[in-house]
Amino acid sequence: MTDEFNLDSLKTMTPPQPDARKRDIALREAMAVFDDEKKCSATQGSGFGVRLMAKLQWSWSKTMTALTKGRLMSGTAIAGILAVPLAGYLAFMVMNDGARPGLMGSGPMQFASDETRNSDDIIAAPKGYLPEPRVVREAEERDQATALADYAAPPAPLPSGAAQRLRSEPSMLGAPQALVGDGSMRLSPSVERLVRDRVEAFETNGIRSVLQDPVSTFSIDVDTASYALMRRALMEGRLPDPDSVRVEELINYFSYAYPLPATRETPFGVNVAVAPTPWNADTKLVHIGIQGFDVEPETRPAANLVFLIDVSGSMDQPDKLPLLKNAFRLLLDRLDERDTISIVTYAGNAGTVLEPTKATERETILEAIDGLEPGGSTAGAAGIEEAYRLARKGMVEGGVNRVMLATDGDFNVGASSDDELKRMIEERRDDGIFLSVFGFGKGNYNDQLMQVLAQNGNGTAAYIDTLAEAQKTLVEEAGSTLFPIAKDVKIQVEFNPATVAEYRLIGYETRALRNEDFNNDRVDAGDIGSGHSVTAIYEITPVGSPAVMNDPLRYGEAQETATDGGSDEYAFLKLRYKLPDETDSHLMTTPIGPELDRGSIAGLSTDARFSIAVAAFGQKLRETDAVADYSWDAIRELAAGARGEDPFGYRSEFLRLVGLADVLDR
Amino acid sequence: MAASAAHAGDGDQQLAARASAGDRHAFARLMERHYDTIHRIAWRWCGNATDADDVAQDVAIKLARTISGWRAEASFTTWLYRIVLNTVRDRQRAFASERRRVEAFAVQAMVEAQGGEGADGDDPAMRLWSAVGSLPERQRDAVMLVHGEGLSHDEAAGVMGVSEGTVSFHIHEAKKKLRVLMKTPEDELS
Repeated sequence: MTDEFNLDSLKTMTPPQPDARKRDIALREAMAVFDDEKKCSATQGSGFGVRLMAKLQWSWSKTMTALTKGRLMSGTAIAGILAVPLAGYLAFMVMNDGARPGLMGSGPMQFASDETRNSDDIIAAPKGYLPEPRVVREAEERDQATALADYAAPPAPLPSGAAQRLRSEPSMLGAPQALVGDGSMRLSPSVERLVRDRVEAFETNGIRSVLQDPVSTFSIDVDTASYALMRRALMEGRLPDPDSVRVEELINYFSYAYPLPATRETPFGVNVAVAPTPWNADTKLVHIGIQGFDVEPETRPAANLVFLIDVSGSMDQPDKLPLLKNAFRLLLDRLDERDTISIVTYAGNAGTVLEPTKATERETILEAIDGLEPGGSTAGAAGIEEAYRLARKGMVEGGVNRVMLATDGDFNVGASSDDELKRMIEERRDDGIFLSVFGFGKGNYNDQLMQVLAQNGNGTAAYIDTLAEAQKTLVEEAGSTLFPIAKDVKIQVEFNPATVAEYRLIGYETRALRNEDFNNDRVDAGDIGSGHSVTAIYEITPVGSPAVMNDPLRYGEAQETATDGGSDEYAFLKLRYKLPDETDSHLMTTPIGPELDRGSIAGLSTDARFSIAVAAFGQKLRETDAVADYSWDAIRELAAGARGEDPFGYRSEFLRLVGLADVLDR
Repeated sequence: MAASAAHAGDGDQQLAARASAGDRHAFARLMERHYDTIHRIAWRWCGNATDADDVAQDVAIKLARTISGWRAEASFTTWLYRIVLNTVRDRQRAFASERRRVEAFAVQAMVEAQGGEGADGDDPAMRLWSAVGSLPERQRDAVMLVHGEGLSHDEAAGVMGVSEGTVSFHIHEAKKKLRVLMKTPEDELS
């Protein structure tokens, strides 16, 4: 097999010349250190206390040197965007070293002692690993620790002292490379391995018999958190936990441009199409695409946004608080003089950082945001209460009143349980204050709680792992996440037993509603934002199809004629919604008749085809039986043929993710 | 060929031995001789010259500090590779998230500016290089050492502290992944 690439072309690239000035400095510094080293080699062997002090001083001077020389900030475009709090950085270095007093070697020469190495990635601790204590600088230690981290901890033949020392960093030594390799800070791998993201497990929707269960009801869902979690997993070289994949969130991650109705009488359009199922020749898909109107920028309501920001110690990682600060700037650009912003932090005790302030006072707002420092443990409940208090204070009648919670999900709600928190959020929702949740970081991201909070607060939950994702969530979709055009949107589909034998709703498992809740306006459901699209797909098995799973009922005949209205329709779609400031719902209905059957997948719109590819992908990641025989390649092909314009490259990224999943699945 | 500097020193072992015994002059010569090599290795792993300058500076100081612990039975070249790679790795760990983010953002900005054209550029070697950079650490190291630096599997095994077979395995896995990464969505359409 020939490759599309020649690895040896790596060799042909011409290395750049080192910067001459830096080279001189480096060589001079090296000589100075060399001389120093000779001098102090005479005075080795001091105790730990002295060592720690020496290190503190050293850390400080190294940090300052690094900062002044611009070393911390040099390199790529990092300089513009990197925000490592100095105090945090120092604390991190000291803490990190303090936690590992034992790992001081006699120098990196053990690296090369080949004889103790056995095959594979396992290395026994080199002989003479435990040297006389001596003053070792941080750099060498780090070097050694890194080298060690690549190997599994050796089992028995360690002297007891060594065993104890190694234990001070067990997961560092045993952590698989994949995790270590991506660890943003060196502390994080150990944390990651021990604490997993909390994800709510749920059963995939099964096949329902139309005779027994003709009605299906669910709430729409515009959350997207599952997509980013899935992407993160694949990029790190592992398949996502099947339980973490919510198919409808994957589908709704992408924006589709379904047709809008001719008039603005209703806030959105409902488009239905039927086509053969790509992964099963004997079934059909009913594709429901809902497209919301855009709120005109001039007529959009004023926004009263309260940011509730988690500044607990666990947020002190580059992909958390610093990313959040940058994301915040992006959002600020989208707001104007109509809008107010407040900031509340929580950690230890909740505090107001910024009283409601006009969005045009950028300086004040940015100053407040830049002043946030991580530290302390999380006391979420107090923070939420304070945030809602500010939201009420700055309440805009007829406007958007929203608490935006940003956290890594390490949410300590004190004595109260998740349920109590949920109740509180529900109460505030009825006051007209909604809640959106933005998840950051990984390792202990509490997906389950975030979902619950957002769903009960009439809000969305999004997971932000990159600045690009922040751009997508906060800026491009600012309109849709901030300005709902319809709330409590519920869908109910009644299937016709004369034409449809069985059906299966793809995704929306966590959004299922009881049939009787459809007409109950007190039951909460999902929102549609300005310009948003929502997609739901049913797989249906026509009567008489060889794919029917349930045996026909022996006594079903009489019943069937009774319910058969003589219609050749597949189903009847009902949709309920409320306008944002209303409490009574409106009803929309559409019969799904054979005239909507496009006959082939190619007859569907590009967007519909792409959403079906995503649905197949999500189901395959969830290890759903229905798509077991449908290959990753087929998914990729279907998606590649439906990429459309893809101005931001999201769909191309999806194609790459399918490719990665394919490789990882082998 | 590119690796010739790293292999050059017959005198390396002796120089290193003398430097480890405290010979200032020997250490100076060793640094003179290898600074560019250090820079080159760092560049190959970091992907840009500025980062490589910083890593090379760090490595120079690290060498000064640790040369006294070097023992003659180990190969100086292997040792050098290890220190450079470890330094790169430390640095990349600290900055990994930031860099990914910045790049993701830069890529997106470029995509927006160019209307859908990927940011990888047309040079297949550059594309390959950046694809290799995105591999898991061990696979990346194996590929770079063998195919970039021109080391034998055995030598690479020495640097990575694994068996020769493991190096081959990592390269095999890397190729599998690269095949996917190097495939552009455009190819699939045709």
